Amino acid sequence: MILVRRGRRVWNNVAQRKERQGIMRSTTVWRWWLGGALLIAFTLSGCPKKTPPPSETGPGGGSGSEIGERALPSPEDVSGGRIRGNIPEGGPLQDVRFAYDSFELSSEARETLRANASWLHSNTQAKVEVEGHCDDRGTVEYNLALGAKRAKAARDYLLTLGITDERLSTISYGEELPLCKEADESCWQQNRRAHFLVLNQDLRR
Amino acid sequence: MERRAWWVSWGRGWALFGFLVLIAPLSAARAQIKIDVPEPGGAGLPIALSPLKGLDGEGERRLGEEFAEVIARDLDLSGLFKPIERGAYIEGPAGLSIEEINFQNWSVIGALALVKGGFSLEGNDLTVEVRLFDVAQRKQLGGKRYRGERQDLRRMAHRFADQIMFFLTGEQGPFSSKIAFVSNRGGGRVKEIYVTDLTGSEVTQVTKDRTLSLGPSWNPAATMLTFFSYKQGGPYPYRINLFGGQESRLSPVVGYSSRWSPDGSMIAVSLEQQGNSDLFLLSPEGRLLRRLTENPEIDISPAWSPNGQEIAFCSSRSGGPQIYMINVNSGNVRRLTFRGDYNTSPSWSPKGDLIAYTSRAGGFRIMTIPATGGDPLEVTAGEDPSWSPDGRYLAFSYRGRLRIASKDGRSVKQLTAGRGDDTSPAWSARLE
Repeated sequence: MILVRRGRRVWNNVAQRKERQGIMRSTTVWRWWLGGALLIAFTLSGCPKKTPPPSETGPGGGSGSEIGERALPSPEDVSGGRIRGNIPEGGPLQDVRFAYDSFELSSEARETLRANASWLHSNTQAKVEVEGHCDDRGTVEYNLALGAKRAKAARDYLLTLGITDERLSTISYGEELPLCKEADESCWQQNRRAHFLVLNQDLRR
Repeated sequence: MERRAWWVSWGRGWALFGFLVLIAPLSAARAQIKIDVPEPGGAGLPIALSPLKGLDGEGERRLGEEFAEVIARDLDLSGLFKPIERGAYIEGPAGLSIEEINFQNWSVIGALALVKGGFSLEGNDLTVEVRLFDVAQRKQLGGKRYRGERQDLRRMAHRFADQIMFFLTGEQGPFSSKIAFVSNRGGGRVKEIYVTDLTGSEVTQVTKDRTLSLGPSWNPAATMLTFFSYKQGGPYPYRINLFGGQESRLSPVVGYSSRWSPDGSMIAVSLEQQGNSDLFLLSPEGRLLRRLTENPEIDISPAWSPNGQEIAFCSSRSGGPQIYMINVNSGNVRRLTFRGDYNTSPSWSPKGDLIAYTSRAGGFRIMTIPATGGDPLEVTAGEDPSWSPDGRYLAFSYRGRLRIASKDGRSVKQLTAGRGDDTSPAWSARLE
C-alpha cells in the first residue's frame, strides 16, 4: 500500500510534467492547423466545384475555411469557469427562447434581443458570451451542435443591431446546463434558450 | 488509487497475462457440444459457476469467489445464461477433473453447464486454470490457463466469460472490454469521463477537471480516449492516454463529437466554425488531414464502417436530423434513414451489417437499420447506442443509467446504478 502511494506521487509529478508538455505541444499543433487552414483555403479557391453552398445563417454568417484562425481563450476565460466558478443564471440581459429543434428567432426573441442590444449600447465596455442551450429531449452531440446554432443566431441578430463583433463570443452547452429539470413543456421551453453571460464581473450584477 | 491500479495492471501485467494455454483442443471441444444455448431474453441456459479452488490451501478463498462472481455477472448480462446462485451448490470448489466431479450434484440443482477451476498465488503471481463442463454429458467442453498478477484476476474472469460464449456459440463474448461513459456522479454541474468493466462495479474515473467532459471515444487498441472538455473554454477535443495519463488538446477549434477510424490512423471529428458543425479528419496527434463535409446545416456524430471506407453521421441538411453515409474517399453522400423526423447518434456494427441510432418517436428509442438501407427495427427505449466488439450487443443510456441490450432487444440488462446520471457509453474493443 505504501509502495502504491509513493508510486502515485511519482506518477502525479509525471502527469503534471506531461500536461505542461501537452500544452506546449498544442501550440505546435495550432501552427499545423493554420497551415492546414491555408491549404484548404487554397484548395477551395482553386476548385470551383467544391464551392460551399451559400450560407443561410444570416448576417456575418460565413462559409469558411477559417478553421484554426480562432484565438485561444485565456486561462481565466469564464467559458470553463462557468461550471467551475458556479456562475449563476440571471444577469442584466434576458434569455431568448427557441422552439423545439429550431434556432429560428421568433418576433418575441427579436424583441428581447433589441432590449439586450440597447443595454449593450449603453454599457459600451461590456463583453458578452452568448450561450446556446437545449432541452434534454435529444441526444447530447446533436444538442451541442444545435446550441451552437442558437448562440450564432442570437449573436448575428445583435450584430445587425450594431453591436460590434469583438464584444460577442459564443459557446454551446447543449443540454448540459438546464435551468430546470421537470419533464414538461414549460420547463423545456425555459431550457431552449440563448443566455447572455456578461464577462465583466462588475457589470454582471 | 483505483486509477493507478488499473493502469499499472494494464500496462505491466499484460505481457505476462498474454500467455494462454488451451487445455482441450478446440475442434474436439466443439464436436462435443450438446448444449443448445437459448435465444437472448429467453429463460437462459442454467450454468453453475463454482468458486475456484485455492490450489495452495484455503488462504485466499475470496479470490476464487470473485472469479466466479465476475463470470456470473458477465453471463447474466449476455442474456443467454442463467447463473445459478452459489447458495444452491452441493459440491464444493474441489474436484477439477471429470473423474473427481460428481455431476449428479450439479444436475440436481438444474445446472446444464458447469465451470470449475483452481488458482495458485505465489507472491503476486497468479495462475488460474478453469474448465467448462457439460453436466448431462459429463464432458469437458473446454478450458484455459491464465497467468498474470493478482490484480489481473477480474480480467482473467472476463476472458473466460468470452471463452464460455465461444465454446457454446462458436463466437467469443464481448466481456473482456471496457465501457467509457460520462457521469455527474461526482455531484454538482460537473461531468467527468469514467471507464467501467462489464460488471459495472469496477469503475475508474479518467478525467478530474471539475468541468464538463463529454463524448468519450476509444482508439482501436483501447489505450486512449478522445473526449471534449470545457476546461479551457471550448469545448475542445482532447486525447488522453490511459496507460500514463498523458493528455493533449487535439485542436484549437471547438467541436462536439469524435470517433477513431478502425485502423487507428485517423480521428473523424465534428468541428464548429461560425456556429456550424462539419466533419473533418484529424491525425491521432490532431493534425488536420482533410475536410469531409461542407454544408450550412449540422453534420455531427461520425461513425466509421468497420472497413474504414464509409462514415455514417447525423445531419440536419434535409430539415430535422437524419442519418447519412459518406464515402471517405469519394465524398459521395447518401441518406440512410427516412422514417421519423429525428434520427441521431449512429453507431456502426463491427460486423458491418447494421447501424444503430437514436430515434425520437414518443420517447427516444434505439433502432437498427441495415447499412445498405431498408426498414429500421426497434431495439428498445434509450439513447446513444454503442456496439459491443462482437456486434451482438448495444450499450446505451436510459434515464441516466447505462444498459446493455442484445441487438434484437429481447434481453435488456442494467449495467450501472448509483448516484448521478450516466450517459454517452462508448464500448471499447476487446482487450487482447
